[in-house]
Amino acid sequence: MLVSATINGRQETFDALPQSTLMDALRNSMFLRGTKEGCREGECGACTVLVDGQPVDSCIYAAHAVNGRNVETIEGLRDDLSIRIKTAMVDAGGIQCGYCTPGIVVMVAALLRRHSSPDEETIRRALAGNICRCTGYSQIIDAVQLAIVKTP
Amino acid sequence: MTSVGVSHPRPDGLAKASGETVFAFDYEESGMLHGRLLRSPVPAGRIVRVDTKKAQAMPGVRAVVTAKDVPAVLAGWVLRDTPMFASKVVRYVGEPIAGVAADTLDQALCAVEAIELEIESTPAACSILDAIADGAPIIHPDVKSYQLSSGGEGGDYPRYGNIAAESATLSDPSAVTAEFARAHRVVEDVYTTQRQYQAYLEPKNAIGIYRGGRFIVHTGSQWPHNIRTRISQFFNTPLSTIRVKDHPYGGGFGGKLDYSVEPHALALSRACGGRPVKIVNTRHDDMLTAASREATHIKMRSALDASGDIIARDVECYMDNGAYTGEMSFLTCFPFHFSAINYRVRKLRAVGRLVYTNAAPTAAMRGVTGVPMYFALESHMDHIARELGVDRREYRLRHLFKSGDRMANGQTLGDADILRKQFDEINKLAPWEEAQSRKGKYRGIAISPAIWPTNPLPGSAVIKIQEDGSAVVLTGANDNGSGAVTTGVRQIVAEELGLPQEMVSATEPDTDFVGFDGGSQGQRTTVVAGGAALEAARDVGQKLRDLAGQLLQQSPSDIELVGGFARVRSHPDVRVSMATLGVTSTFGGGTLQGTGRGHIEPVAHDPGCASGLLAPLFNSPTYHVHFAEVEIDPTTGNVKVLRYIVAQEVGRMINPSSIGGQIQGGVAQGIGYALYESLRISPKTGEPLEKSLESYRLPLAVDIPRVEMIITEHPNPNGPFGAKGVAEAPILLPAAVIATAVSDAIGRPIHKLPVTPEDVLAAMADDPPGPSSHTRHQED
Repeated sequence: MLVSATINGRQETFDALPQSTLMDALRNSMFLRGTKEGCREGECGACTVLVDGQPVDSCIYAAHAVNGRNVETIEGLRDDLSIRIKTAMVDAGGIQCGYCTPGIVVMVAALLRRHSSPDEETIRRALAGNICRCTGYSQIIDAVQLAIVKTP
Repeated sequence: MTSVGVSHPRPDGLAKASGETVFAFDYEESGMLHGRLLRSPVPAGRIVRVDTKKAQAMPGVRAVVTAKDVPAVLAGWVLRDTPMFASKVVRYVGEPIAGVAADTLDQALCAVEAIELEIESTPAACSILDAIADGAPIIHPDVKSYQLSSGGEGGDYPRYGNIAAESATLSDPSAVTAEFARAHRVVEDVYTTQRQYQAYLEPKNAIGIYRGGRFIVHTGSQWPHNIRTRISQFFNTPLSTIRVKDHPYGGGFGGKLDYSVEPHALALSRACGGRPVKIVNTRHDDMLTAASREATHIKMRSALDASGDIIARDVECYMDNGAYTGEMSFLTCFPFHFSAINYRVRKLRAVGRLVYTNAAPTAAMRGVTGVPMYFALESHMDHIARELGVDRREYRLRHLFKSGDRMANGQTLGDADILRKQFDEINKLAPWEEAQSRKGKYRGIAISPAIWPTNPLPGSAVIKIQEDGSAVVLTGANDNGSGAVTTGVRQIVAEELGLPQEMVSATEPDTDFVGFDGGSQGQRTTVVAGGAALEAARDVGQKLRDLAGQLLQQSPSDIELVGGFARVRSHPDVRVSMATLGVTSTFGGGTLQGTGRGHIEPVAHDPGCASGLLAPLFNSPTYHVHFAEVEIDPTTGNVKVLRYIVAQEVGRMINPSSIGGQIQGGVAQGIGYALYESLRISPKTGEPLEKSLESYRLPLAVDIPRVEMIITEHPNPNGPFGAKGVAEAPILLPAAVIATAVSDAIGRPIHKLPVTPEDVLAAMADDPPGPSSHTRHQED
């Protein structure tokens, strides 16, 4: 079936089987491979994208469900806030292997669009669905706080 | 120092944060097919029939391979006991039996389903205790006749029955028996620990291409040169016919040191005329075949004299090897090392036994064998202190190694006094007495020391100076996310050549282009690959100074490399830029290059101290003390880690931010092992009970406290700019200190990991042991 959606600001049409996941459509039809596959069961958060501004695990989200909607992937997050988040992730040492990082940046962007200065507990809760096996999270929390501080 | 000792952000960070980095999982080749493996559904059985005819005729299928299509050889890291595809028998659920390559993954999945497989199940032994029981099925009847991968160099080691390897003290056992006979008190315990899944976020995957008589692999490996060796064994082909190209990968933690699906992808590519074949693990495949940390069963017994000194210790450690050995044979001597470490033990009898089981092969995970052994050792030390009625910290300090004390292997630890200083440093931050007195009913504290070696496998580097004066480091080392190459090696080279960070880059490993490297393991990369890069930088630096000397008409010995210039020491304004040197050398006589080799000097030890001593030394030992404070919810049994302090000796800091990241990350994995993570193997079906990240509980952002760190610098004469390994050791002690802190909180001993809420509640229901209760044998 053909699916039409706004993907990273552009109207796109792609073909998807009824059982296709949004993650597979993004990775294999759009070649948007910043959206990572970690578990295909909605546990790890590496595939997080925004649908109408809401973070979803694209690996368990039906591709056809985005028909007529607005999808943002890591590749499309180029606004000032997102750039601040990415830069802060680098500067605060929040990245090691980096496989979880795109999903975390997307999740943090969704958080900081809603709350301009969440406290540490709120940040930790927001990231509770994004597994990072390398960092032990502290420097990711530091990065979010750095991005908040640098917000003009 | 302008580069070394400064927190430089990762140069590859922004690409990772922006989703631009192409990980091995994302990488594709032109004309690529999709591979899928048929895996054994039973833990033990005889293969009666594998019929691939129907599968071969299915749409899109380009190749089906079985054991008949590959050389009839066995391969293995230490012992050649592993087939690429099972042919006669299967030994674990998940063992590869056949492979399919097809145009699409769905077609490959369907074709695998169409392979007709008939297996006659045979009795299985899926756990340590089942495999060592009388009458247990013998998993490898040929264990004694298997070839060693080294060809026998370095000596053989004991193996028999289901014991894949054994390492035992060789000193007279009657001396230990005599000490136990005269002991004032004997304390004994049995500890069990679980399998831990590395749970790297990127599942394993590989592309195999057989083209022009060469075996080409694209993968995300911690040790590309090891993959090359294994392919050489499996295909019975010289190393020169193999090329392993490594790509950025999403974590490894020891799970990506050996091969996974690389040989199978190559076999499929060869069967379909050289089309590239990619095999990708689903998370379920990855957990089914996880090369996890081994489960252990540890019996530990200590004889004490009237003053509480440990006059003898007797340790028996069984390690769950799974169906094939991989790296595990090397680690069988670790129980020996860890039985008498940190604290003085006068006489030791210790044996490590690696046990074949009908379960997925285990392997190295960060803190190999040290993690379960430190849990056992420290819990046992608490038990001894309790029996003696001595404060647990005080008892540790009384018996702690001092500089000059020896490990069980006879190696002298010249700097062991660092441990005592670390106890003091932690006490300043978290005074023990104060913590003891203010802690509430369900709060507990613990403190423990550790010593950890650096993997000494050698490495090498070549540095070339480009036309613009920038330097490229060609190294077989890779980063595994630690930053050891992307920041550490670059900082070392930038420092030596006086170049700004951004003018130094490092390549990704490609075995066709780089010299051997011992892989991202055992916290060796900064020390060994960094050491090789430093030597290469000195080599090319001398050539740069020679050239600058000619251009400036000065003696090369008066030239220094600073800030992107070669300048005269006494007249810094007389200088020539690196860019000028780069272009002059390139178009004058050819590109300037330097070469370097890296290794760690072995230290003196007693090679006759134990049998099976495949890892005899603690090279460049590092020193650690950890402190934890926990709180128990008496209703749910949940454990909350309130405070965690790490005191770590690092030689010399190269990148402080990276060190902080390695400590925090290592502690998080250790807390996971202490409290949540367990990859259980069903004793009935041989399958992992945890099949997904939903049931395998990993630490989350809400679980892990911010670790407080005390970094001790103590420059290492054998490391570049004094550096030591940093990344592996932080995982060693969390299980030890959290289990003993929980034990402190509830007043009951802990003998099993992980410490789940159910276990805490069950322990709380037991009678508490009195402070001077009679010694008793505790069995699970």
